[in-house]
Formats: sequence, C-alpha cells, structure tokens
Amino acid sequence: MATLDFYQAGRSRVHGWNPVTKLSLSLTLVVTAFALPVLWWPVALLVLVLLPAVLASGVQRRFLATMSRFLLPVILLLFVIQGLFYPGGGQVLLTLGPLSVHADGLLFAARTALRLVVLTGSFLFLLLTTHPGDLMTALVARGLPPKISYVVSATLQIIPAFRQRAQGILQAQRARGLRTDTGLVSRVRALVPLISPLILGALSEVDERSIAMEARAFGSTARRTSYTVIPDSTAQRLARWLMLLAALTAIALTTTGVVS
Amino acid sequence: MITVDKLGYTYPETARPVLREIDLNVPSGQFLGVVGPSGAGKTTLAQALAGYIPHVLGGEVTGRVEIGGLHVVDTPLPDLVTRVGMVSQNPFNQISGAKFTVAEELAFGLENLGVPRQDMLIAVREVLRRLRIEHLAERSPYELSGGQQQLVALGAMLVMNPDVLVLDEPTSQLDPAGSRLVFEALGELRSRDITVVLIEHKIERLAEFADRVVVLVDGELRMDGPPGTVLAAPELVEWGIGHTRFTTAAVRAGGRWPSGAALPVTLDQALAGFGGAR
Ligand SMILES: Nc1ncnc2c1ncn2[C@@H]1O[C@H](COP(=O)(O)OP(=O)(O)O)[C@@H](O)[C@H]1O
Ligand SMILES: [Mg+2]
Repeated sequence: MATLDFYQAGRSRVHGWNPVTKLSLSLTLVVTAFALPVLWWPVALLVLVLLPAVLASGVQRRFLATMSRFLLPVILLLFVIQGLFYPGGGQVLLTLGPLSVHADGLLFAARTALRLVVLTGSFLFLLLTTHPGDLMTALVARGLPPKISYVVSATLQIIPAFRQRAQGILQAQRARGLRTDTGLVSRVRALVPLISPLILGALSEVDERSIAMEARAFGSTARRTSYTVIPDSTAQRLARWLMLLAALTAIALTTTGVVS
Repeated sequence: MITVDKLGYTYPETARPVLREIDLNVPSGQFLGVVGPSGAGKTTLAQALAGYIPHVLGGEVTGRVEIGGLHVVDTPLPDLVTRVGMVSQNPFNQISGAKFTVAEELAFGLENLGVPRQDMLIAVREVLRRLRIEHLAERSPYELSGGQQQLVALGAMLVMNPDVLVLDEPTSQLDPAGSRLVFEALGELRSRDITVVLIEHKIERLAEFADRVVVLVDGELRMDGPPGTVLAAPELVEWGIGHTRFTTAAVRAGGRWPSGAALPVTLDQALAGFGGAR
C-alpha cells in the first residue's frame, strides 16, 4: 500500500534515537539558521551536522532526491526574482537589456535559499528516519493531546486506504465497460460514478468510525498509559538540553545585536 | 448477563420507533442467535445493547437495558466497554486509524482506560494467541485482508475482557475464506465464559453455534427458542429470512422425510433423518 509518510525503515543508530531528540535537533537547526544573520552558519550546519546525520542513517538517496524535487525550482525562482528585482539595488553585476542583476539581490537569495535548505532538510531528515507512529507516541507521552495524534495518524493511514478503494471502484467500473482511457470528457465523466460511491461511503462511515473510537474508550478521562515504550537515554536527554541552550543562545545573540 | 425490558427506540429526527417492546433475558455464557429480515432493527438492537445507542447515536430510548447489572442508558460509554463489546459488519471502519501495528491497535482501548503496561502486554499476547494472529502482531492493520481485519476488530473488544460480545453480521462483507476465519474464532468463543449475541443471516452457521435463537421482525421479537425449533419454523420463509438448505431439502422431500420427525437445521440432523428413512 502506498503511504503518505516519508519514513524509510532502517537499523541505523539514528533510526533508534528517540523521536523527540530528532525533533529537537531539527528545531535547533532551523531556529539557529533563521536567527543568526551569518551567511556561513547554515552552510556549517549542513556540512557538519545535517549531512553526516543523513549519511549515518543511510537515507541519503531519498533525502537528495526529495530535496532536489522540492527545492530546486523554488531556489531557481528565488535567484531569478531577487537577482533582477531586489528593491535595494547595490552593485550591478550584469545588464540584460532593460534588466540588471544586483549583487544585494543575489546575496539575499543565497541567504534565503540556505535557510530553506536547512528548514526542509531538517524536517525531511526527521521524517525519513522516524516512524510516524513512534513520533506520535513520543509526543503524546510528552503531553501532545491524543486527539491531535489521532488526526495525524488516521490521515496518514486512511487517505491511502481510500485511494486504494477508489482504484478498486474504478477497476470495477472499467470491467463493466466504462471507458476511462480516451479524452478529457470521458475521463471527467468517469469520475462521476467513481465519486458518488466514494463520498456516500465516506459519509455513512463517519458514524461508524466515531463509534469505533468510542468503543475503545477514546472518550475516557482516565490517565492514559502507553503500550509502546520509546527508548531514551541520559545522553539524549543531555543533548536535548544542550540543543535548547544553543537555540536560546542564537536568539539572544541576534536580539542583543552581538551578531549582526 | 443481559436483561432487556420493554425496550423501545426511535432514531433522532424520525417519528416511527424502530424497536418496540423488546423483552429479552440472556443468561451468562449463552450463545444467542438473532435473525430477521433486512430493516427489522437487528443492527439497532445490537447498538442498543452495546450502548452506542443512545451514547453515540442519540435518539429516544424507552424501557431498560442492563448488562451485568449496569444500566446501559445511565452508564457512560467508557465504563461500559469493559462489560460489552461489539463487532460490526465493515472491518475497515472498525480499525481505529490511531495505530500503526496490530498489537498497538489491540492495546488501544486498554491505553485509553489507563491499564498498566504490564497487564496490557499480557492481555494483548493472550488475544493474539486465542485468535491465532500472533504472526500479524507487527503488521499494519491496513495491510490485512478483510477477514484478518475482522479478527483484529474482534480482538480489540476481547482484550477489554467484556462479559458480553455482540456481533452484527460479522462476515457479511467478507469472502468465504475471511468468513471461515471469523467463524473459527467464534467457535473458540463458544467454549468460553462469555455471553455472545450473534446477528447472522447465514442461518446454517447459527444452527451450528447458537444455544438459542430469537427472530426480530419489524422491530418486534416474534419468536424465541432453541435453534432446531425456531430455524425450522415455517414463518421464517414468510418473513423473508428463509430456511437452511437442510430444512428446505426435508420440506421438498415430502413423504421421504420421516413423518413426525422435526425438520432438520444441521447437516447431521438431515443425515440422520434421511438415513433413517432409507
Ligand atoms: N441512523 C438512522 N437514522 C434513522 N433511521 C435509521 C438509522 N439507521 C437505521 N434506521 C432505520 O431503522 C430500521 C432498522 O434498521 P437496522 O437496525 O439497520 O435493520 P437491520 O440491521 O435489521 O437490517 C430501518 O428501517 C432503517 O431504515
Ligand atoms: Mg443490519
């Protein structure tokens, strides 16, 4: 079954880290990258932290493929727009007819692009190496409302299941002679008999699904326990405190103007 | 133990009661079969026993439903789920979506009730073993066949150790292999100290499992008795419920079925009757 999450199973040390440690790492990378107005800082984070972590977990192929698919178009656009239309101006590097490329614009584009790479890369790293169920279990153990955890988990699982069902209905209708392969009009027409069973099914299922939750005492006010225990360690707890400290330091350095 | 006393029920925003004056006592450990034509109110009755009526679905209840001495209408649902569990027709909709493995899915209700982890581990392992689905423990509930999902739905109820289990046509959306899985599990339940209410249109299965059968027609209980008597009653055809193949064969056989012998509802009874006639 096709899934909506990014998780790539593996046996690396990084896979075994507590999800909260990885989430803290991602947040720290993002916060410091955005807080510190130093161009080389995101580069250092990428080279010294993120890439080694990605390599250590063995998810580099998916990481690079996903990053380039999401980010390359955005970064390209960023450079074109900021290079040509940056309001500040600054030194003109190149003139193309009525358009000119400004150094300040390129610098701004580079800074933004690096921060975007850190932002996307950090969270992609988290999602690639952390099973969504473990992430939710770990977060609920730290006070995330179970309803939020439920919405995330159910969305990740029920949407692919629905997609599968839609394919089933489509196949059944093809088997009964419905043409779905030629022309836009016939494709749109094919959607109508597909959508009605899907929507009607989904609506009548809302009651049943809320019953399924109630039948499992989801509305209980008891203090919840957890079947799954997510491993943690003193070293990781210490690391999380240090990361928090680093993020706060970065914010302090910037707001007090020590770094500018 | 189930005590139903003059139960009536009307769905919200409708006028006509769907259940009327239902009286039903089911002693502990009994395996009760329920049959009735489509639209008779079987699912509604099941939901009233499990407390989803009125706690989730609303509507107006008259009369009384008690499960092991607890008033269903007055008891909040989280307190009822350890007394009565229900398995419904659609396996997919009974998977919570909250959990990513079968073992966690089974434990979900216990987590919500705040059961200590050590007890959960034992209870989940026991249910996996009883339903013979140990090999599925780490699989995603969404990757399973319908029959396997239905076993997980059953297990999610059994793990809370209810006194009463209500099953509403649990195999009606399954293929023959899936149905067989579920009926095997029900056979296992028969030998347990649990009260079972099985709503089933495959009445040959009821003839095999049930200690007693009641017939629900148009919101009323019309018949109540041992399966051999109730399932062979001529009214069942008139009510659109039909007979087992064995009953039909004996009726069609006319004089070849021994006169005075009760009509058969199981294969063994049919063989005995026809064998004696030969
Ligand atoms: N949610 C609902 N709201 C209003 N009427 C309902 C609802 N569900 C079922 N009914 C009606 O109640 C009657 C009994 O339905 P049901 O209990 O599902 O019958 P059965 O399970 O025996 O087929 C039917 O006439 C049906 O249309
Ligand atoms: Mg029904």
